[in-house]
Amino acid sequence: MAGPTAHSWAGGPVNPFKGQREAAIRWTLRICALTSVVGLVLMVAFLLRESLPAWKEAGLANIFAYEWNPDKGRYGILIFLAGTLAVSLVSLLLGAPLALATAIYLHAYARPAWRRVIGKGLEVLAGIPSIILGWLGFTTLVPLVRRLAGGTGMGILPASIVLAVMILPTVATIARDSLDAVPESFAEASFSMGATRWQTLRRVIIPTAWPGIAVAMILGLGRALGETMAVAMVIGPATAFPRNLTTPTHTLTTKIMLEMGESTGVHRSSLFAMALVLLALSMLLILLVRLLSRKAVREFSGGVLTC
Amino acid sequence: MKGEPVVAVRSAVRSPSGAPPLGEGNGWRGLLEERAAKAARKASMADRAAGLVFKAAAAVSLAVLAFIIGIILVKGLGTAVRPSFLFGRPQAMKEGGGIGPMFISSLYLTFLTTVIVVPLGVGAALYLAEFSRDGRLVRLVRWGTESLSSISSVVFGIFGMVFFVIYMRLSYSLLAGALTLTLMNLPTVMRVTEESIRAIPWSYREASLSLGASRWETARRVVLPAALPGITTGAILTMGRIMGESAALVYTVGIFVRKPPLSPLQPAAPMAANIWHLYTEGALIPDWMRVASGEAAALLVLVLLLNLGAGALARVIRKKMGIVQ
Repeated sequence: MAGPTAHSWAGGPVNPFKGQREAAIRWTLRICALTSVVGLVLMVAFLLRESLPAWKEAGLANIFAYEWNPDKGRYGILIFLAGTLAVSLVSLLLGAPLALATAIYLHAYARPAWRRVIGKGLEVLAGIPSIILGWLGFTTLVPLVRRLAGGTGMGILPASIVLAVMILPTVATIARDSLDAVPESFAEASFSMGATRWQTLRRVIIPTAWPGIAVAMILGLGRALGETMAVAMVIGPATAFPRNLTTPTHTLTTKIMLEMGESTGVHRSSLFAMALVLLALSMLLILLVRLLSRKAVREFSGGVLTC
Repeated sequence: MKGEPVVAVRSAVRSPSGAPPLGEGNGWRGLLEERAAKAARKASMADRAAGLVFKAAAAVSLAVLAFIIGIILVKGLGTAVRPSFLFGRPQAMKEGGGIGPMFISSLYLTFLTTVIVVPLGVGAALYLAEFSRDGRLVRLVRWGTESLSSISSVVFGIFGMVFFVIYMRLSYSLLAGALTLTLMNLPTVMRVTEESIRAIPWSYREASLSLGASRWETARRVVLPAALPGITTGAILTMGRIMGESAALVYTVGIFVRKPPLSPLQPAAPMAANIWHLYTEGALIPDWMRVASGEAAALLVLVLLLNLGAGALARVIRKKMGIVQ
């Protein structure tokens, strides 16, 4: 939001509004802007409406339970919640170190030409459709895991590897931006005292950029939580608690995707309840990002003031 | 830990009384110098090792991208470039089918969504950057946009199903899918547009206003043209995202059709969603692996063209308009 807030149209010497046409245009644009809010509200409202039978007839205790068996009226979602969390966390574990190292390379080591090439590469990687990554995982990664670990070759491990690739550009780009946002004088001060590049990075740049790097990882986690197709093609699917990394399981998104078409009644409604849980999870992450960015802004201005 | 003594030790060497350096015979100084040199060597070795690690990471990232593109193209491009495949009729029970209707569906859906989401997003961004005075409203819009951008595409998909397909009675159709994708991509278009509007120097607007132009006249004749390269890039990148979307379309547009859609109210099957169909019910088609590989390659080529073309088009526009940046 680094806009020219100091300059405001309001209160200028000229009243730039010319009659009704201007007012009408203003209102039209305001409605455009409100579309996102209206859409969000509609979305929450309709998800609530559709999931109401599940909350009412199955009840909270039934939904937040382990057993999933719609034929017997058991609608526990904890298996899928566990699958979602496991897949996202493992993918972050695999993807974040690579992404952060790439970001550090781009910030501190890369020559301008390489910076451009790799930056563009990350952009292209971010644009590759998830269905293609899922297809690639299904045709190359799953047979490999099958050969190495036995079984079907599907499960949390291949899903996490595919997701690690998906979150790599997100995490790397945002982390690079927050490293770049550290004032150059910080690095200069460190160099002038004889520190090496690595010392400067480790002691000065990375600690200063830390809130931004945390935001990058949380946004990566958010992307992993919500990913559907790439995961669905390599995770199994099977309604079983993920005992290890190479047994088929399910996530919230894959369960919704695979069963929405062929379910009715409370069963269908419980899938909407899962969507609502997913929505709540991503809202929680956004809240976390907001808190962290506020912290980043505060620390940042503090740092500038002291030097 | 390892590198830090360098600075401290150096100042210790110089400090005691400001006396000139003593000769070799001085044990203290020799010792300190040796330690300083050792620490410096260690630090520079750590520095070099860290540099190697970061370079390797960047190389791995690039290699991953090359691997993905390479494998998909090697496996499918041979199939995808044949006109009888790209424009051919799909087959259900026998081999040799094409993806003509899916190809048309993808283009149609991308076009339809773009003509809805870009004007809407540009209007919204224009409001936020140029017209808004109400801080609360702006905060509300930002909250809505931010939240929308964090929501999973499958959640958009099932919302589109209950709202556009069932409640608005659009049934499975291109329009239902386009409206769902509009909601999904609105945050991106708004963000990119607002960024490029805010990058325009304030003096442009002052010049326009001082000539007596109104706010809207300024926005239309000065701000929007100057922001056009950025908006175009954003729009094309969004087209790439629309082209590749699948999870939001399975329950709003459809996953398989025999004939290309004509009206926006007809069901369709974009390529990305059709790959999902092949994956889940592919056994119906004997050569489904071939069809899916070819479709994936065709989709990837389209998305890559859009991604790489975006920047080039922006450069062309800048050049034509005489904007030097």
